[in-house]
Parts: sequence; structure tokens; C-alpha cells
Amino acid sequence: MKTKLAILWHVAISLTLLGGAITHADAQSPQRIEITAKRFNFTPGEITLKKGVPVVLVLTSADVDHGLKFKELNVVVNAKKGKTNEVTFTPNKVGTFIGQCSVFCGSGHGSMKLTLHVTE
Amino acid sequence: MRCSIYVAFTGLLVLACGCKVKHPGSAETRIVTGIKHRITVGGKSMKNPVTFTPEHLADGKEAFGHYCTACHGLDGQNTGVPFAENMSPPLPSLASPDVQSYSDGQLKWVIDNGVAPSGMPASSGTLSNDEIWSIVLYLRHLPPAGSLGEPEFYSH
Repeated sequence: MKTKLAILWHVAISLTLLGGAITHADAQSPQRIEITAKRFNFTPGEITLKKGVPVVLVLTSADVDHGLKFKELNVVVNAKKGKTNEVTFTPNKVGTFIGQCSVFCGSGHGSMKLTLHVTE
Repeated sequence: MRCSIYVAFTGLLVLACGCKVKHPGSAETRIVTGIKHRITVGGKSMKNPVTFTPEHLADGKEAFGHYCTACHGLDGQNTGVPFAENMSPPLPSLASPDVQSYSDGQLKWVIDNGVAPSGMPASSGTLSNDEIWSIVLYLRHLPPAGSLGEPEFYSH
């Protein structure tokens, strides 16, 4: 009886620890922001991030080759026609930054922008 | 009635002036160049915020390569552009004193707004500000004429 109780006790402790570890891992995974690029807009057109908190920008191109570049933050990600690509980074400055399409995509390429707010 | 007068007037004007492409005379070139440099091309005092680094120069070369090479060639000196001499006015070499004597701000203004009457289009919105400034940087550091070959699409 004592042995059975001990086994149950160990199983319960292990499950609790395992569950905690999984929860902890989830909490550590960077937030993923899905962005779609399509001539000549990004969707969403505006995002807000926290300074010092890692994030994954996931860029999908819905038509031709596109890119997204935040020059001041030294962040760039390119997505080939119809493909998805991602970049992980940690915003290290507070402010509003304008991301531009970094791969020439046609007549409205220069006005293809995404606004990024980084808050404390 | 008004419409037919307009059509007749336009017809007479075309007959008088012709619409064939002709090289402008030297007097016309001098006058138009002077007017552009001193009066019509703005942005004279704007400074290029893109400083010279090999990376920025590469950015300028890349942006130029996307959009400008069809008319100006890879080297900005019309290499391999078959119609360069057949336009009115003919396409200038971007390394020429006439072009290089514009200020950085004026070159940015020309790329932003285009030049009429000529084939130079307005590129504001088609290229970003950063790209246009990096192109201005590239224009100040053009490679030797012919050193980059000709645009691929004219070789096919």
C-alpha cells in the first residue's frame, strides 16, 4: 500500500513539474505577429510592441516578392512570391518606426509602409 | 463649333511644329539647361541624409538597378540603352558635368518630380525617400562607363 502511495505521489509530482515546465516554455516563446504583404500594403498596417520583449515577425507575400525593413532597428525580412519568412528580434528603442517594403514590387512600392510603435 | 476650332488649331500647331523627335539645337539646350539649374528644379538646399558607406552605396546601386537602368543603363551612362540618343532631349549621361553640377537636393527633386518636357518620370511613391537618397549617393559614385555591361533585357 505504501509503495502504491509512493508511486502515485511521484507521478503527481512529476506531472506537476512537467506541466509547469510546459507552461514556462509557452511563456518564454516570443509573440508571433503575422503580416501579409500585397501590392501595395501591409496587413496589419500598424503594430505595437514592448521594448525588450522578443517578437517574431512572420511575413507572407500574397502576390509578388516583398520585403519589410525597419532601418532604424536594423530589422529586415524578405518573402518570395507566395511564400512566408520570419525574423526574430527584440525592440531596443522606444518610438514610432516606419517599415518599408525592401524589395521593389511595382508602381506603389515606395508608399508601401508599416508603422511600428514600441512602448516601454 | 468650339470643338472643331480646337481640333483645327491643334492640327495647325502640329503641322507648324511637327511631332518628329529632333535633337534640340545648342541654343535651346543652353537656355533650357540654365532655366532648369537656376529656376525650375527645386530642392537646391536639401542635404542627403544617407551618408557614404559601402553598404549605402550598394543600396543605391540596387535601387537604381530596379528602376532606372531601363533608360540610364547599369552605369548611369546609357551603356546598352538603344534609344538613348533618339529621344528629345537625348538621355544625358548621369556622369556628365550638366547632371553632376546639380546639388544633391536637386537630384532628389528631379527623381521625385520628374522633368517635363522629357522622358524623366516622377518617382515619388514608386521609390521610398531612403531609396531615392541612396540613388543620389550612387549617382555621385558612378562606376566607369561600360564597366557593368548592359541591362540584361536589351541582350535578349
